[in-house]
Amino acid sequence: MTNGWAGVLRKDLRIEFRTRYGVSAVVMFLLITVAVILYSTPGEQLQPSIMSALIWIALFFGAMTGLARSFVSEEERGTALLLRLYASGESVLIGKLIYNLGLMLMLAVSAVVFFLFFFARDFNVRDWGVFWLQLMLGAVGIAAVSTILSALISRASQKGALLPILALPVLMPLVIATTDATRIALEVPNAWAGARGDILILISFDVAMILVSYVLFDVIWKD
Amino acid sequence: MRLFRSNIFLWCLGIALAIQVYIAFETPIGGSFSDAATLAMNGMQDVTPVKATLVSTDSSGATFTDLYGQPGHVQITNRSYGSFQSYKKRDVLVISVAYNLAAKSFDLVEVVRVNPMMTFPMIQGLGELGRNILLHVPMAMVAFIAFLIGTIYSIMFLIKKDFEYDRHARAASAAGLLFTILATVTGSIWARFSWGTFWNWDPRETSIFILLLIYAAYFMLRSLLEESEDKKARIAAVYNIIAFVSVPFLMFVVPRITQSLHPGGGGTEAPVVNLSGQTHTDRTLLNMHWVSVVLFLFVFLWIKDMYTRILRLEAKRAEEA
Repeated sequence: MTNGWAGVLRKDLRIEFRTRYGVSAVVMFLLITVAVILYSTPGEQLQPSIMSALIWIALFFGAMTGLARSFVSEEERGTALLLRLYASGESVLIGKLIYNLGLMLMLAVSAVVFFLFFFARDFNVRDWGVFWLQLMLGAVGIAAVSTILSALISRASQKGALLPILALPVLMPLVIATTDATRIALEVPNAWAGARGDILILISFDVAMILVSYVLFDVIWKD
Repeated sequence: MRLFRSNIFLWCLGIALAIQVYIAFETPIGGSFSDAATLAMNGMQDVTPVKATLVSTDSSGATFTDLYGQPGHVQITNRSYGSFQSYKKRDVLVISVAYNLAAKSFDLVEVVRVNPMMTFPMIQGLGELGRNILLHVPMAMVAFIAFLIGTIYSIMFLIKKDFEYDRHARAASAAGLLFTILATVTGSIWARFSWGTFWNWDPRETSIFILLLIYAAYFMLRSLLEESEDKKARIAAVYNIIAFVSVPFLMFVVPRITQSLHPGGGGTEAPVVNLSGQTHTDRTLLNMHWVSVVLFLFVFLWIKDMYTRILRLEAKRAEEA
């Protein structure tokens, strides 16, 4: 095992390829969410505002099921101490962050594919550029917040319930901005003018969260 | 701080708060003649208080100039209480008037105050409800300042590793939560009478609701951790700092770019913080508002100090046990 963030990332990817827990959990979660929406709204015309709320609810809770594992699994398998010995705090954070970001992007892309397939009539994106931009920025923000919060709660009791409770209020500015930007990208062909404020909020939120977690990670990682 | 343990200081603070609340409810509201005419023509309000200087009296009433220098003639009719006989030239009067649509003049209803020490401006659409600006807005401001102070103490704790800072951070956040609840309650009552319902999911209402969730989670986190006291305090401090990153977005950014019932939403000009960098709020109201902010800030510091002392005693007892 190399000592940089690449080593941490490689380790996580190898474990993922062995068990496929993260990917399958996330995909199953998305499929169930889509099925529930399909069964509960038969023949309904879903407005862009409802469509953007549904896709972000699916993404947020999907992230909470998939991304919470990153540090919790280290504690459960008892490998956290070994990781502390082998790698520096910042390489653990960057490795886990990139792994979570990859998982989150996969979740976002598969959500878009599922929505395009199952909601072909209502899910008409008019401005794909703005849509992908805000989706990526939202994914980065959710990945950053859930990585640091997952490290925070890795040894708390009631872990499963605690992460959404801690993460939702912190992520709320991001969710407000992305749902608004998604709605605009679904509604108008030239969405940049309307979504500019939201995109700026997303960029500043992402940068602030990544910087804060980079500075604070050592405090919670060291015993 | 020793200051908050002195009875004289606390009595002074209490009396100052009582005076401030008295001023908030007793100061007359005085608008202009154009306010009275607009409100009557829109059918929003029949009788409007107007602050104006007496120019001359005549047989049917008196001529005034209002605070914008606009002249207006106010007539004594059979619905008037009192007359202008006893007032001198250049007396400043707050008079409630009814606009006479047919004659395009004003009918006196009553003389509210003569030469008042100060008046609050007539805010169209708010009227008497505008007095709540002196309670609701300072409470929300002090809540933000409290969370800021709590975060600074959390950072200090992580740097200095002294539990005293952790107790300060906890106490400041708890007092901030209290002020958030107070701002929510005063705002909710205000919303009932000016927008019709206690809760409208206006962007600012959503923001303050999420703020309550954040700090509820902060206090919940501590009780769910199975760690040493040191690690617990560190994790709570980290969450406090992460949570505070989203507070400015919730309190300052999101309400300004989305459509809102509050002033300043959706890119409209807010009275205090706006893009042109100018204060459009009336001077008297703004000054009294800052007095309120300072008084509530002292109340916040007093509550924070009390809670810090409680936490200090608890820590001491745990150490002895």
